[in-house]
Amino acid sequence: MSKKNSIKFSIIRGAAALGIGLLVAFLLIFFGSEGATLGEKFSSSLEAMREMLISPLFRKNGSFSLKNLSDVLAGMIPILFTGLATCIMFAANQFNLGAEGGIMLGAFVSSLVAIYVKLPGPLLIVAAVLLGALASALVMLIPAVLKARLGVSEMVNSLMLNYVIMYLVNYLMKAHLADTSKGITQTFPFQDNALIPQMIDNGSRLSWGFVVGIVMVILCWFFMYRTRWGYGIRMTGINQPFVMYSGMSVTVIIILCQVMGGFLAGMGGGIEILGRYNVYNWSALPGYGWTGITVAILAGNNPIFVPLAAFFMSYLTKGCMLMSTNADVPSQLISIIQAVIFIFFAAQQFLSGYRQKLVIRSAKEELAGNGAGEEVRK
Amino acid sequence: MRLLTTDFFFSIIRIATPILFATLAAVIGEKGGISNIGLEGIMMMSALFGSLSAFWSKSWVIGLLVAMGVGLAEALLMGVFAFKLKTNIILVGTAVNMIGSGGTIFLVKIITNNTMGSALTSTTSLITKNLQIPSIQIPLIRDIPVIGKILSGHSLLTYLAFLLVWLTAVLLYKTPLGLNIRSIGENPNAAASVGVSVSKVRFITIGIGGILAGMGGAYMSMYYAMGWSLDMVAGRGFIALAAQSMGGGEPLGSMLAALVFGFAQALGIKVSATGVDSNLVAPIPYVVTIISLVIFALNQRRKERRRYKAAV
Amino acid sequence: MSEEYAIQMKNITKIYPNGTIANQDVSLNVKKGEIHALMGENGAGKTTLMKMLFGLEQPTSGEILVNGERVHLSSPSAAIAKRIGMVHQHFMLVPSLTVAENMVLGMVPKKSGVFIDSKKSVELTEEYAKKYNLQVDANAKVMDIPVGMKQKVEILKALVRGARILILDEPTAVLTAQETEELFAQLKNLKEQGYSIIFISHKLKEIMEITDRMTILRGGRSMGIYETSEVTPQEISRLMVGRDVILKVEKEKAQPGSEVLKVRDLSYINEWGKKMLDHVSLSVRKGEILGIAGVEGNGQKELVDMLFGFSRPNSGIIEVNGESLIGLGQRQIRMKHVSLVPEDRMLYGIASSATIEENLISDRSGSPEFNKGFLFNMNAIHKKTEQLIRDFTVLCKNRSQQVGSLSGGNIQKVVVAREFSNDPVLIIADQPTRGIDVGATEFIRKKLVELSRSGIAVLLISADLNEVMELSDSLIIMCGGKIAAYFEDTEELTDELMGRYMLGIEQQDPEEIRRVCHE
Repeated sequence: MSKKNSIKFSIIRGAAALGIGLLVAFLLIFFGSEGATLGEKFSSSLEAMREMLISPLFRKNGSFSLKNLSDVLAGMIPILFTGLATCIMFAANQFNLGAEGGIMLGAFVSSLVAIYVKLPGPLLIVAAVLLGALASALVMLIPAVLKARLGVSEMVNSLMLNYVIMYLVNYLMKAHLADTSKGITQTFPFQDNALIPQMIDNGSRLSWGFVVGIVMVILCWFFMYRTRWGYGIRMTGINQPFVMYSGMSVTVIIILCQVMGGFLAGMGGGIEILGRYNVYNWSALPGYGWTGITVAILAGNNPIFVPLAAFFMSYLTKGCMLMSTNADVPSQLISIIQAVIFIFFAAQQFLSGYRQKLVIRSAKEELAGNGAGEEVRK
Repeated sequence: MRLLTTDFFFSIIRIATPILFATLAAVIGEKGGISNIGLEGIMMMSALFGSLSAFWSKSWVIGLLVAMGVGLAEALLMGVFAFKLKTNIILVGTAVNMIGSGGTIFLVKIITNNTMGSALTSTTSLITKNLQIPSIQIPLIRDIPVIGKILSGHSLLTYLAFLLVWLTAVLLYKTPLGLNIRSIGENPNAAASVGVSVSKVRFITIGIGGILAGMGGAYMSMYYAMGWSLDMVAGRGFIALAAQSMGGGEPLGSMLAALVFGFAQALGIKVSATGVDSNLVAPIPYVVTIISLVIFALNQRRKERRRYKAAV
Repeated sequence: MSEEYAIQMKNITKIYPNGTIANQDVSLNVKKGEIHALMGENGAGKTTLMKMLFGLEQPTSGEILVNGERVHLSSPSAAIAKRIGMVHQHFMLVPSLTVAENMVLGMVPKKSGVFIDSKKSVELTEEYAKKYNLQVDANAKVMDIPVGMKQKVEILKALVRGARILILDEPTAVLTAQETEELFAQLKNLKEQGYSIIFISHKLKEIMEITDRMTILRGGRSMGIYETSEVTPQEISRLMVGRDVILKVEKEKAQPGSEVLKVRDLSYINEWGKKMLDHVSLSVRKGEILGIAGVEGNGQKELVDMLFGFSRPNSGIIEVNGESLIGLGQRQIRMKHVSLVPEDRMLYGIASSATIEENLISDRSGSPEFNKGFLFNMNAIHKKTEQLIRDFTVLCKNRSQQVGSLSGGNIQKVVVAREFSNDPVLIIADQPTRGIDVGATEFIRKKLVELSRSGIAVLLISADLNEVMELSDSLIIMCGGKIAAYFEDTEELTDELMGRYMLGIEQQDPEEIRRVCHE
């Protein structure tokens, strides 16, 4: 198939997945909507959909809302990192689902540094984020090494670790670290110089961490497509025996990609917590890891598309939140839309009939072209 | 603290039951070459609809049947994506789990809002004692000292779960369907070449898993916890996958593994009763899973080496 | 009368989802009670055509008639219902099940309506085995039985399902001469009973011996249907390859230098306790090609696995230029400048959805030539890739094309381009031209000779007798994990003589064999 047809197909396929996701959303809203007649239900559902799709950028009167846009961008920060983490692990066919625990651990460790370690100026931020990232990278060594050395499923182990991390962090909070003067379980406040400065001071919590995230996207792309390690990771995802036969170490690659995944997720945790809050107060897994998986799948495991996919997810999340306040539809609708779009993106054979048609057309064109070529030669 | 009480052993069985249902689903799935990580999400969905239907119909039987039906439907839908649209089964499972956590809370809100006028976030207020799946006292056994107190008085579903271990073994090794499942797990082309419909058998395989997970979900919301609440399955669907591999993929071995996890959780509850923070005890089963997977892998490796040495 | 034909396939075209055109306007007809050869080189479209006849693939256009009736074969079950049976090249058996269980898979006899009737399965197997004189052990697990028996199980599987039309896809590829003879007797027997047999092969001798008519495919198109008795082997080969090529490779006499590869008393017992290599000793010197001939499965694969670090011998020595390779991984072995053209190129040779460029640098992605600090030196990589594509005449759109979308011959050229260009001292070429087109075959063979004459040691393993005899300076024959014979010069060798050694009828004495060590 020609490159042009390939791109055309990808776009149509993406749009179709999106369309199905929104259709399912509409049906659910319709089912849940209030109204005496079907017509009323229909129009209130449309209103809710409008709220979800338009309001993240525009106010009721149609004017552009910078505040909403900055909210969406701020919402991208954690899932940029978990998305990148998942991209790198999935690219090597390592189905490590630990970005969820990784981001929580990273946030927790960064918070401890931000509270208790005395360092001058912005150095504290750097140290906190790096230590959070390192902690999470270290934990990812467990599923990584067990997979590489013993062939134990990284998927099951990383899932188990998510829970272990959550409970241990909660234990440490409750037993030793919480500020008991407060009603809810939270730490003492971070030192002032640990807070990541905001890009726009409008309450969106759009910190400079966003820029760090974009820089990481670029670095990850270079890593995956312009270095020997990224190359090894990608080849392992395509054909592991080939990598071994070629003289690269599959063991090292399997460990490397998961440790990097842990590092990125942990880094996201630190940046999110220091950019958005001034205390640590997460008591459950934040869900960013799972959204990160969606982001990675939408981006086709290519880091360069992560910002686009993260923007989309953040936009939808914001849309669902606004819809829940303004149109009284529960915001958890996002989980269902996310799952539907996610699975249609991941489905290889989705629209394969259409693809086959394009392929056959290309092949026929090629045949005709060759025939003509022969004629000319004669 | 006295550990070895009859209550303690009773609670192991009680706790192991939902894990056992999901484990059997994982065993049948893996025999047929399907790694179903969506069991977690299926259990959540079944638990929710099971409890709602029991409340509406005022009957735990209907609730149980609906839970099984929802499990089946969801599993078959997974099958459509995995087998027809060639989606990686892990990703299909991930999508099901997304719906199982955030999606269920959305559904419970709009459903209760529509039917009762107020959006509930759990169904614990709906499942009353008479909607609970009944417990059964087994005559004769209940009168045996010690043993009676451990084995008698469990939920109907608990006995069913242990019966299903045996039925699963019979299904896999004594029936034509089992032969088809095993051959497709090992060499799908071979099965296809003699006219076995690989796709049909795969749908049956994942469907059976869905029904089993549905029963596990019903047990959770209609017996164990009396009502559905967010994330109540708490990784049991994932633990089942661990139990399956720890048990070598065989029904009996995996049942023992499920009991080990039941033991770990029961121990956790026991220990936290003495004032230890439950957050310290709650992760024990997850750690046990990791450790047991490692032990299993090491064992496998040693066995291979021994077989090789014997052969040489 | 159309009823004369058991099978008619008319104007079949098949285009795969990746755009490969496997068959183009192919017609085939098979009479009742005949053995019909389907001939063609690997990649000519034989297997695809048969997959459509067995319902495993659907034609993009064209129609299929069975006994004169138009049919739509949507699945193997549909084909089986039309009494078509297929014996696949790679056995379609479930290793952990017994022979009887494999026999009845999909049509299990039941007792009490639900359970498997194992006794009946065994009886059924034995009944059919007797009826068609195909002896098998019904209670043995398939993983424990020899290859010849597996094939019989496959044929019985088709017969027990009522097949009247049998498709055999390269059935003799894995059989010994005796087993082949036995198979032919059984096929003739079936033919006399009115069965139709489609026999896929590219072994001329067998075709001439057993078939009545033949259809020849070339490049996905049919070259016509012929009576076997009316065509000569020369004509067939002309129709198959398109010109009267006998791939003669001109080569000067070797001037062997010092010993590069030294293998001594190498033994290996596999995980099921079977002795796969038994005190194998050989040497390959600079500037020579040592060929290894033999029926597949006589230790060649295991030898290559040992040489390239995929498994570890139980005893013996492997040295390259005096340094031991035992216990080393592929990276260290490659650092000693050993290259391998792997037998299974789709599994080891390439990453099919990666680009040509990515496939060409897999063994050298860490080399200083291609890296500037942390980053790849993309200019150097592009330049090298372009050069390799030119030097090895890889037919492609550009260097970013997916390797998997190339033809078999061009895929192999990519593998060879990589393996030949990393300054090797020893090249292990394992079936380097299997299943690829004539042009690529000729190119690769010439390249091997050229490289050996430039002072590289070459170890060539090939099941293609023509190839080993043409290319090798000297040659060994492996049989049963041992070296059965060593020939210092390949000029005087005949097929018959080699055949006797390959099948273990003859065996040189150890002194003669030891000469391969040049001590």
